[in-house]
Amino acid sequence: MSNDARTDGGTASATDTGASAGALAGIDGYRVLLYLGLLGMLTFFLIPIESGLVTSFKTSSGVSGSLPFAPPTGSTFTLEKWQSAFDALGRGLINSALYAIPATVISALLGSFAAYGITQSDWKQKYKAPVLALFVAGIFIPYQAVLVPLSQFWSMVSLQDWLGFVWALGINDDYAGVVELIVTHVAYGLPICTVLFRSYYKNMSEEMIEAARLDGASIRRIYRRIVLPLSGPMFAVVLIYQFTQIWNDLLFTLVLVQTESSAAAPIVLILAGLGTSLEGQDFALRMAGAFIAALPTLAVYIAFGEEFAEGVAT
Amino acid sequence: MGTLELDGVTKVFPDGDGEVVAVDDVDIEMRDGEFLVVVGPSGCGKSTTLRMVAGLETVTSGEIRLAGNVVNDVKPQHRDIAMVFQSYALYPHMTVEGNMAFGLEESTELSDEEIETRVTDAAETMGIAELLDRKPSDLSGGQQQRVALGRAIVRDPEVFLMDEPLSNLDAKLRSEMRTELQRLQSELDVTTMYVTHDQTEAMTMGDRIAILNAGELQQVATPLECYHEPANRFVAGFIGDPSMNFFDVKRDGDTLDGAVFDYPLSASTLDDVGDVTDLTLGVRPEDISVAGDAAGDHAFSTVVEVVEPMGDENTVYLRFEDAPEGETFIATVGGLQRISVGDEVTIEIPEEAIHLFDGNTGEAVHNRDMEE
Repeated sequence: MSNDARTDGGTASATDTGASAGALAGIDGYRVLLYLGLLGMLTFFLIPIESGLVTSFKTSSGVSGSLPFAPPTGSTFTLEKWQSAFDALGRGLINSALYAIPATVISALLGSFAAYGITQSDWKQKYKAPVLALFVAGIFIPYQAVLVPLSQFWSMVSLQDWLGFVWALGINDDYAGVVELIVTHVAYGLPICTVLFRSYYKNMSEEMIEAARLDGASIRRIYRRIVLPLSGPMFAVVLIYQFTQIWNDLLFTLVLVQTESSAAAPIVLILAGLGTSLEGQDFALRMAGAFIAALPTLAVYIAFGEEFAEGVAT
Repeated sequence: MGTLELDGVTKVFPDGDGEVVAVDDVDIEMRDGEFLVVVGPSGCGKSTTLRMVAGLETVTSGEIRLAGNVVNDVKPQHRDIAMVFQSYALYPHMTVEGNMAFGLEESTELSDEEIETRVTDAAETMGIAELLDRKPSDLSGGQQQRVALGRAIVRDPEVFLMDEPLSNLDAKLRSEMRTELQRLQSELDVTTMYVTHDQTEAMTMGDRIAILNAGELQQVATPLECYHEPANRFVAGFIGDPSMNFFDVKRDGDTLDGAVFDYPLSASTLDDVGDVTDLTLGVRPEDISVAGDAAGDHAFSTVVEVVEPMGDENTVYLRFEDAPEGETFIATVGGLQRISVGDEVTIEIPEEAIHLFDGNTGEAVHNRDMEE
């Protein structure tokens, strides 16, 4: 059934090109093969997503009684799984947003500052190069290699104790984990942000910056009034990239928050155990949960999509 | 007062293990309101000189004085200088008004109303008042050029620096803007240092020209002085189009001995020459007369190799009768004079029009007689 639907779409687009080209002769054997090939690849890539989506709307008997990519029928259709996934993940969504948004914004901003310093400022090249080398080295440190030092660091720097005045306000002290996640993600995201911004600022007109200097602007003012307003496209790239990385990261949450029973448990931790029990896997629930967890990254991409394309092109 | 003095200014760039001297001991004094054009071939250090005045490059040694004060270590933003760049360097995210107001907002304490008045005034001077709300990307090259100039004049600085501001324009617009820039400069009466590689701009625009070659200052003089009384062979060859003809000669008594011709000199010219024996004889193409009826010691038989008709005049490539093929020199003759390839013509190189340069140092030892 679903194959039929795709074939329809394919023919429609084939006639479209023929019509717009204004000549039926344009549809030769090569084109037919090309479109068939493209269609095959499209199907290949979309089937898992389509299967996940239709599964999330099926009852448990629907999941076991039909092919994974077949849509639910009247009796096996239900919204209940989405409802229970949302109930389970709701607090996780908020917790994740609590660290993913600040960490993304702070790392992008700091990356932009640092890149401005090592490109457009008039500091001597011999001082800029080692700083840049440090940033580049930072990109290649695998997260797995720093897990032990990281957890040791956070046991020495005990936010649980230091932020006592916050917990006194009635906030659960599990949220120390959220603060730790912000700091950790900013630290490990900063190198890639800096290098991305650096390549962007390298291409910025040097004469324009010089013109601003002659116009009497200080290095800070040039950043604020010239460089920052022109950084939009690169901010889109960095925000999308960083947000997706941080939102989807499981490793640091496992080390720093550890359990899904914690009040500050991020969505990825809850999702990991969602729909899993001794009786087996509730596939429909897991699929619904996965889609809910993926929605924010999708939303960020749609919000910055246009600037993203521009930033990637430069 | 916007006087600008460069005193022994030198710029050395490190280059690997060695050093490159980009600007070598340049002395220039500009009086208030003067329009000085700095000209030279690419890589001669003219832009570096300008950038040192702007403060965008450090000065290796020597002093730059603006209105009597040494500004070597003054940051560019505190020098009260406005610069126009070849690429215009407009701020793409700001409107024309924003571009022009930026400098005033950053460097002065003026109120918003005062800034607006000054921006509007400057925009009217430049004829871009109706473009104030547009972004640079919506403007043509010529309009962007006007905005770049407007951004400089609105600041009312002590000195304007211009780095090949017209080179991105097409030929017609360039000659229009050339006239306009001159008018603007004399109206505003601001000291202006203008860098170009285009000798037409140098000849037509400047009160004086400074000619640089390989980082060294060759001559600072009015355009006509540079043309008629060049300080050395480089200046003589650089200024003027088509450029001056040069012949390497040896002095033999009172005669110049070229490979294929002998040129006798009068006593007064010989006085200038002194005891130099290796010389270069220079003569401008328009000073060679191709009348056909010339006779005497300074007349020579030549063969026409190439004729380039320009309409108002013909550029003729001539060869001495005894010279090998391809060894030509240039003369310009009136556009109506009939002359064709292969013709044998007698030319005259009048003695009052010749320049003589020391064959080793290139220094001028004798320049043409000026009819005053």
